[in-house]
Amino acid sequence: MTAFTVKSRAGTLSGAIATILRGAARVLLPIALAATPAIGHAADEPASIKVGYVDLINAQVLAKALHLTEKSVGIPVTWVKFGSGGDLNRAVAAGAIDFGGVGNPPATIGITRGLPYEGIFVLDELGPVESLVARPGIKSIKDLKGKTIATPFGSTSHYELIAALAGAGLNPAQEKILDMDPPDAFAAWTRKDIDAAYLWEPVLGRMVASGGKILMDSGTMARRGYPTWDVGVVMKDFAAKYPGVVVKYLKAECQAIDFWHQHPQEAAGLISKELNVPLAETAKEMTGTYMIPCHEQLTAAYLGTPAHKGKFVATLIATAKFLKSQNRLPDVKEDAVYAEFINPGFLQQAVKP
Amino acid sequence: MTELLQDGRDDGAVAGAAAQTEVWRIEYANRPIPRIVPHLKLRAPSIEKLLTAATVCALLAGWFFLTRYGLVNPLFLPTPAAVWSAFVTTATTGYQGSRLDQHLLASVDRVLIGWSLACVVGVPLGFLMGLNTKIKAVFDPIIEFYRPLPPLGLYTLIVLWLGIGEESKIALLFLAALPPISISATEAVAGIDKRYITAVQSLGASRRQLLHHVILPACLPGICTGMRISLGFTYSVLVAAEIVAATRGIGWMVWDAAKFLLSDVVIMGLIVLGLTGLVLDLLLRRLERVLTPWRFI
Repeated sequence: MTAFTVKSRAGTLSGAIATILRGAARVLLPIALAATPAIGHAADEPASIKVGYVDLINAQVLAKALHLTEKSVGIPVTWVKFGSGGDLNRAVAAGAIDFGGVGNPPATIGITRGLPYEGIFVLDELGPVESLVARPGIKSIKDLKGKTIATPFGSTSHYELIAALAGAGLNPAQEKILDMDPPDAFAAWTRKDIDAAYLWEPVLGRMVASGGKILMDSGTMARRGYPTWDVGVVMKDFAAKYPGVVVKYLKAECQAIDFWHQHPQEAAGLISKELNVPLAETAKEMTGTYMIPCHEQLTAAYLGTPAHKGKFVATLIATAKFLKSQNRLPDVKEDAVYAEFINPGFLQQAVKP
Repeated sequence: MTELLQDGRDDGAVAGAAAQTEVWRIEYANRPIPRIVPHLKLRAPSIEKLLTAATVCALLAGWFFLTRYGLVNPLFLPTPAAVWSAFVTTATTGYQGSRLDQHLLASVDRVLIGWSLACVVGVPLGFLMGLNTKIKAVFDPIIEFYRPLPPLGLYTLIVLWLGIGEESKIALLFLAALPPISISATEAVAGIDKRYITAVQSLGASRRQLLHHVILPACLPGICTGMRISLGFTYSVLVAAEIVAATRGIGWMVWDAAKFLLSDVVIMGLIVLGLTGLVLDLLLRRLERVLTPWRFI
């Protein structure tokens, strides 16, 4: 009797183990297969593409709203929203997206840490769309000493905040800087948990509307030697496998930038709907972001050409050195690594008539 | 009373045991019993320990070889040496303004405060819920409703209500810690053998005596287990609790390092989290031995 119970228990146990193993195989096999891209069909087009984006006022919102990307690439497009460039980097590390957009600080972090992506176009150049906003009593950056400041870590805003504090003679490492995505920061601002925040529209506008005063903006910081911009990225594997899709994708982005310049009012309407921001504010905020027409992006001030890469490379290197000095990067790679990241080749093909 | 019960049982047990002994006597008559039995006794636990040690070694060896020969991208799995040096750097110069021990202390502090609060609230609450079905009817739906909610989802609301300070972090840990404690306390009370209670009552025990001599000791093992499970669960919510607006804590360190793709710091932090979790569990096991010694005889 006793022997029988033991036996049957052993039977169910081995049965359970077998079930677990079978389940594990079912989960792990597809992952293993997905991780080896060479296996399977070598089609010219993937079944669909995944684009990661951050809530920002730029022309990419138009590409999404007008379905320009779908129309151009001819395959389904999935848009995946991220809180900030730092989050997007993590998704890139996990291989979760094909295209994305990151600011120069997250791009620098990604390049230095060996993320397999390359920068193929300029999403936007940041002006007053990103700003340092504080409570009315705070008159200057120096007054921020001992105050609580929120910003999304690893983003362009974080970079500008550290640079702005250091520029005003404060030690950023000793200030209370909290890592918060814009919506969280706004909630904390409403509760009066934070005294200041460096972040971007549309949340920036809401903070100004509720009494916040602008102490510094990214346009001014750019003139002081800390330019910030967002660069569109593609996974290296994807670009090597589907170069045609990358060019088509860029064509849509260029159309969106042209639309931004040619139909500002319609663009404002679309962005206001897409991001849930009042129309009047959107129009104002659109002036804080600079959209660079694609043919201009191939000049020395931006990406440059494959033979003569532009100023973006120097900005990436400067950003890396700054982040290293702030203990935010363990090391800085040789200049060639940052130059290799910038790849204007696809954009050159996309702007060809 | 206990004697009565035992006597009743013993009758059957004694008869059964006698019969069993008879069978053994016949079966083992021709076998060298003294050799086998001590042999097995000595070996049985050491096999399990060997297996545990072998598993740990195999994992470490696998990690070493995978990274040594460049089979995986160091961004995903850094070498053991890199993780060790991250540990040394963090322990000596610190990560983002705090040393490893300060990060650890901040986290353990939060966990223990949240968990202790949950014990103080959860044990009596569970007790009452187990004793009184009306009290259970009031609190059970609340606990059962929020229990399966993902901690991050819950946390956004807590941040809105309580702000970004320590209160919201401890509140989340408290909420995670509460259900395992209160549920196990409820079950422990409800699961007491009714015969014990009626027997003691028939001997004229007062309510107080009943509680003190029967119900409390009978529940203690279940409650202890619940507290242990709860601490492990609280620990597992730690990273979520430190995501919003922390500047210190192991969970925050892991989250922040992931944003900057510092996988060596991430893995180091996770190992430290795992080991301290293990130490906390061992301490609780010790406490369990002190509180309910009869279970370990």
